[in-house]
Amino acid sequence: MTPYLEATGINKSFGGLQALRDCSFTVEQGRITCLVGPNGAGKTTIFNVVTGFFRPDSGSVAFRGRKLDGLRPQAIVAAGVARSFQNLRLFDDLTALDNVLVAVARQFAEEPLGAIFRPLRAAREQRRATERALEALEHVGLAAQAREAVRNLSYGERKLLTVARLLATGAELLLLDEPASGLSAGALDAIMTLLRRLQSEGKTLLVVEHNTRVVQKIADQVLFLHQGHLMAQGSPAEIINDPQLAEIYFGGAI
Amino acid sequence: MDFLNSYIVLAEIYVLLALSTNLLVGIVGIFSVSQAAVFGVGAYIVAALLMGNILPFLPAILLAALCCVALNILVTLPSLRVAGDYFVVTSFGIQLLATAVFTNWTEGTGGANGLPGIPPPAILGFEFDSTGQFLLLSSAALAIGCLCFWLIMRAPFGRLLRAIREDEMAVAAAGKNVLRAKVGAAALAGALAGIAGGVYGTFLSFIDPSSFDLDASILMLTMVVVGGARTLTGSIIGPFLLLALPQLLTLVEIPSTIAAAMRQLIYGLLLIAFMLFRPQGLAGERL
Repeated sequence: MTPYLEATGINKSFGGLQALRDCSFTVEQGRITCLVGPNGAGKTTIFNVVTGFFRPDSGSVAFRGRKLDGLRPQAIVAAGVARSFQNLRLFDDLTALDNVLVAVARQFAEEPLGAIFRPLRAAREQRRATERALEALEHVGLAAQAREAVRNLSYGERKLLTVARLLATGAELLLLDEPASGLSAGALDAIMTLLRRLQSEGKTLLVVEHNTRVVQKIADQVLFLHQGHLMAQGSPAEIINDPQLAEIYFGGAI
Repeated sequence: MDFLNSYIVLAEIYVLLALSTNLLVGIVGIFSVSQAAVFGVGAYIVAALLMGNILPFLPAILLAALCCVALNILVTLPSLRVAGDYFVVTSFGIQLLATAVFTNWTEGTGGANGLPGIPPPAILGFEFDSTGQFLLLSSAALAIGCLCFWLIMRAPFGRLLRAIREDEMAVAAAGKNVLRAKVGAAALAGALAGIAGGVYGTFLSFIDPSSFDLDASILMLTMVVVGGARTLTGSIIGPFLLLALPQLLTLVEIPSTIAAAMRQLIYGLLLIAFMLFRPQGLAGERL
């Protein structure tokens, strides 16, 4: 059986720094996989390689048996893999709804000719896209804030908005970069519940997370990355209780 | 009356140019200072086609618009690789290059002497001869330009362009093709500038490189900044206001020798003052 997502022997250097070295791992469909490791372990670099923002020096990435490396980011989203950013990267001048609308897949009149010569069709299809975007907002609990400008949202709401934007792409494998960092206890619970719900609805999640309590609560599988290499994988309990990994993680020997 | 009409015609032509500049600079955030070059190419192509009796007015202006679409895509392409401030330098170079060609290619453009005697436009036998008649033509061009701008801004394309200005990487992560959207915007901006050029040349019946130089590009930018970036209203207010300025100066008693310099001075001061104190212009959003 072909693995759902499979990265094989990935190497990636930036000048003299080797961010990923012979990194291989797989992600299983329908599960929440957490990617953990100390700062600089290469977690975000993996996201960038999988989603086409960086081209690996060597190695390959396959999704449902289809080669992803070498594809452009938009082609990878169309294939069903989308990512969020640790620093959110929302469109601050747009409303929450518009932020999500940008990501709705396959819209009519995303180019000038359709917009100018078929305005009625553009308006009609726009209504459908808006419904989809509102659904995504509702899904994360932001329906009431749809017309708010992003700058008027709280940090927790912004994080939820990035998830709504991911949902609008229609992707089935979602890569979330630290969705729980910097959140208050209440917001933390909300996001964990949301991630669990997405899983029950058939999404597969690959999540970079630092908070071990969050990892313990949501992860089915944990990948431990160290110096650009997959060092260990297993259940949350196995990884978190491993004294050697804890030593690395909490800044012991490097 | 003729005086007022000719002011309105010119302002309407500049609204098309402001829309073109607003689309690239205000909405997509491609800081182009070479829109006057595209404007000039449109004007020279229409002039050459009409003076040589090669094509009637409408096909000529359409052909000019198409050439300007291609040209503007070409000159905007560096912005896909060179970001922000660096693109301004590239665009600046393109503008200087165009001015050099307009001034020195004597056989094609008449060089610094310009091209006199461009025939008035005629559509289906109707000649737009007087300024009053010309007002119909320029108003029609203005209406089409504004309609296109308005349709685009309310379509997903407009939203995509605004998102690109804020964060290209996030747009790519949302599954959208940034390159294609930028090419689309450049094409539309090129068509607007090219049409403005064709209308401008046939209206004045004379063109020379001084209308299409760096000063003209900066004037378009000033119109967008003063009127207000990213809005249709801003692109209409800017040209009408800034072109009224030279007319107002004629009311003040200053020698004609320094009037031109005064105008540039005031344009420059306005640009600085608005950038400092009112970056959203009179009716727009922060650039």
